[in-house]
Amino acid sequence: MNINTATGLISLFLLALVLHAQALTPSHHLSSADVTRLQAFLNQPLEDLESAYYTIVGLSKLGTQVSDEKGACQFLKSHHDPTNIDSLFFAAEASQALSDCEIPISNETRDLLLAAVSEDSSMSQIHHAVGALSSLGLPLASQEVVSALAARITKEDNVMAIIVALQTASRLSQQADLGRILEEIEDLAARLDDLGGVYLQFEEGLEATALFVTATYGLSDHVGMEPPLKEDQLVQLVNSVFSKKAWGSLAEAFSVASAAAALADNRFHVPVIVGTQGPATVSHRQPTLKIQVTNVLSRPLPSASVVVESARSVSSKNVVLKQASFTLREEVFELNFLDSKPASGYYDFAVAVAGDTRFVGSSVELKVKVSTEVGITNVDLSIVDKDQSIGPKSTKVAYPSKAKGSLIADSHQNLALSFQLVDENTGVELTPHQTFVRLHNQKTDQEVVFVAEPDSKNVYRFELDTAERKSEFNSVSGTYALHLMIGDATLENPILWNMADIVLKFPEEDAPSVVQSKNLYVAKPEIQHLFREPEKKPATVVSNAFTALVLAPFLLLIILWIKLGANISNFSITPSTLLFHLGHAAMLGLMYVYWTHLNMFQTLKYLAIVGSLTFLAGNRMLAQKAVKRISAEQSSRLAKYRSLR
Amino acid sequence: MSSSVLSVISRFLNEYSTSTPNKLKLVDAYLLYILLTGAMQFLYCLLVGTFPFNSFLSGFISCVGCFILGVCLRIQVNPNNKGEFLGISPERAFADFLFAHTVLHLVVINFIG
Repeated sequence: MNINTATGLISLFLLALVLHAQALTPSHHLSSADVTRLQAFLNQPLEDLESAYYTIVGLSKLGTQVSDEKGACQFLKSHHDPTNIDSLFFAAEASQALSDCEIPISNETRDLLLAAVSEDSSMSQIHHAVGALSSLGLPLASQEVVSALAARITKEDNVMAIIVALQTASRLSQQADLGRILEEIEDLAARLDDLGGVYLQFEEGLEATALFVTATYGLSDHVGMEPPLKEDQLVQLVNSVFSKKAWGSLAEAFSVASAAAALADNRFHVPVIVGTQGPATVSHRQPTLKIQVTNVLSRPLPSASVVVESARSVSSKNVVLKQASFTLREEVFELNFLDSKPASGYYDFAVAVAGDTRFVGSSVELKVKVSTEVGITNVDLSIVDKDQSIGPKSTKVAYPSKAKGSLIADSHQNLALSFQLVDENTGVELTPHQTFVRLHNQKTDQEVVFVAEPDSKNVYRFELDTAERKSEFNSVSGTYALHLMIGDATLENPILWNMADIVLKFPEEDAPSVVQSKNLYVAKPEIQHLFREPEKKPATVVSNAFTALVLAPFLLLIILWIKLGANISNFSITPSTLLFHLGHAAMLGLMYVYWTHLNMFQTLKYLAIVGSLTFLAGNRMLAQKAVKRISAEQSSRLAKYRSLR
Repeated sequence: MSSSVLSVISRFLNEYSTSTPNKLKLVDAYLLYILLTGAMQFLYCLLVGTFPFNSFLSGFISCVGCFILGVCLRIQVNPNNKGEFLGISPERAFADFLFAHTVLHLVVINFIG
């Protein structure tokens, strides 16, 4: 075993330790208000047999009954259809939930139900038949049912069918071999979707998930074997089933009620909900931390006992309390935390619930706030001269009284304030989050707020340099009320204390003539949008004159060319010449059309077509011209040569 | 002093009208036309203002471009310069002239707005 495997094993062990320490706790459950709402939702007037079944059986699972039991029984007797298996199931199950309600059954009905138990019926039909037979107290052959279920599972592989099979199996005799059906629980659990590590649910929805929980625990209790669900998986299932507090249909509400009943009391896993009664705050007026431990239906757990394993301060990481147990008083667990003399601040409590091996989610982390009262001591308010030629004039003020008379400070002096904040109960120095010094001018309603900072000995100091800060005051001299504001989340008594009146004198030349009270919420002057003015165009006369001037040289050109003797006598009427000139004219025309109508891409397209035609024709034409020119030159050279000889 | 300038000018004009072939005189007339047009445009811009600037630029650059291409054509077609342009016949020079003008017109029309 070399060093690498050793470190690997150690890190794996530590990882497992860390993961186990971060055990999941349920974040959703049904509060008492939720349970009342669920009961109210289920308690709908009986209209058809299926909804009557949901109402009657759902309410019985939550521990209450329909208001009119006799009327409900009458309804079941009159509305059930002895030839329909589903109808028989609903009537039979509902009558079982009511006290003293019996549905009369004939032999034909019994035979119909027994015949439905075969692998040719759908899973739902088998379930309804078995359920009806079981509720009506009629005998059934469990082994036949098991083989029918096993055959149907292979044919109907969807989630709902297998859940129904589990429910059916829990109605059979304990002697039957249900191992094949029990294996399906683990396979179904593998099909659950994990959402963010918090929720575990079927993509078929809430009803499927809730019925899965009901069926799993129903069958496990019946058989006496612990379901193969891990603690974290169960907590995630609890979160999924109880996160929805408004149910869309009676079937959904019924499934949630069934799941809640299954989880509230079964033989193997009981999820525990731990919460504080009221805010998790402890102070001298309220020194006990109150915790409630309930099941998912917010009903108390009689065998529970609560122990705080460690209470650790968030800021200093010291463990303040270890292995202290809570005392139970009227279904609430109490602990006097202030007996351990904690400093004010936040504490992480690791709470464990014991008393029953079935408890799931029994290790909980709570954040508890210890708040206290603050007192201000050693308040020293003084006017210090800047060049320190005159000694400081200091006044001692005691909270909550106000300094007598007002202090005067002009631009050569600084205002200095120092004070200490102590915990009234323990005498420890405090550094709250909010320590503000506010100067308020009553006449002009100006307000300037500064922050007082603590030094290394936790003594708060504040200095106001009147000359330096005059811009914040708009150089308005006058009487300012000095307030001290102390606040923090862990303080029970935030303080706003008018300590003294200060007369501030700013140099006169800087004072504005009128001080505008900063009215931020008054409508501002409307901004008129200036549309872009079109450029000034010159007079039409000028434009026309210059157009004529620019076109004039063309006339000159024509005149000069005529004078020079330009002519088109050499124009050979060949197809290429004609085509060239036409093409060239077309290109110039295309330029005009480009200017008025087209864009570059269209122009290039047309230019390519016309240009290539013109090019080919022009090439031909120029070649012919070249041939003519060369032959003319050659003949003239020949003539010159001949004349020379 | 002025007389020598005048005599130089008159000698130049004489030489020009006698020894320049007609074809070149035609091209020279065309160049003069282009020059005057450009000058008129520039005068307008100076007097009235540069609005709209893109139109002025495109018009002026069109004149300048045409003038340059005209000068190139004149140089290439001049029989005295045949030695410099052995591979380029006058027809080829004219074809180049036309092609360059197509490109110039395309750009000018695009910019004229």
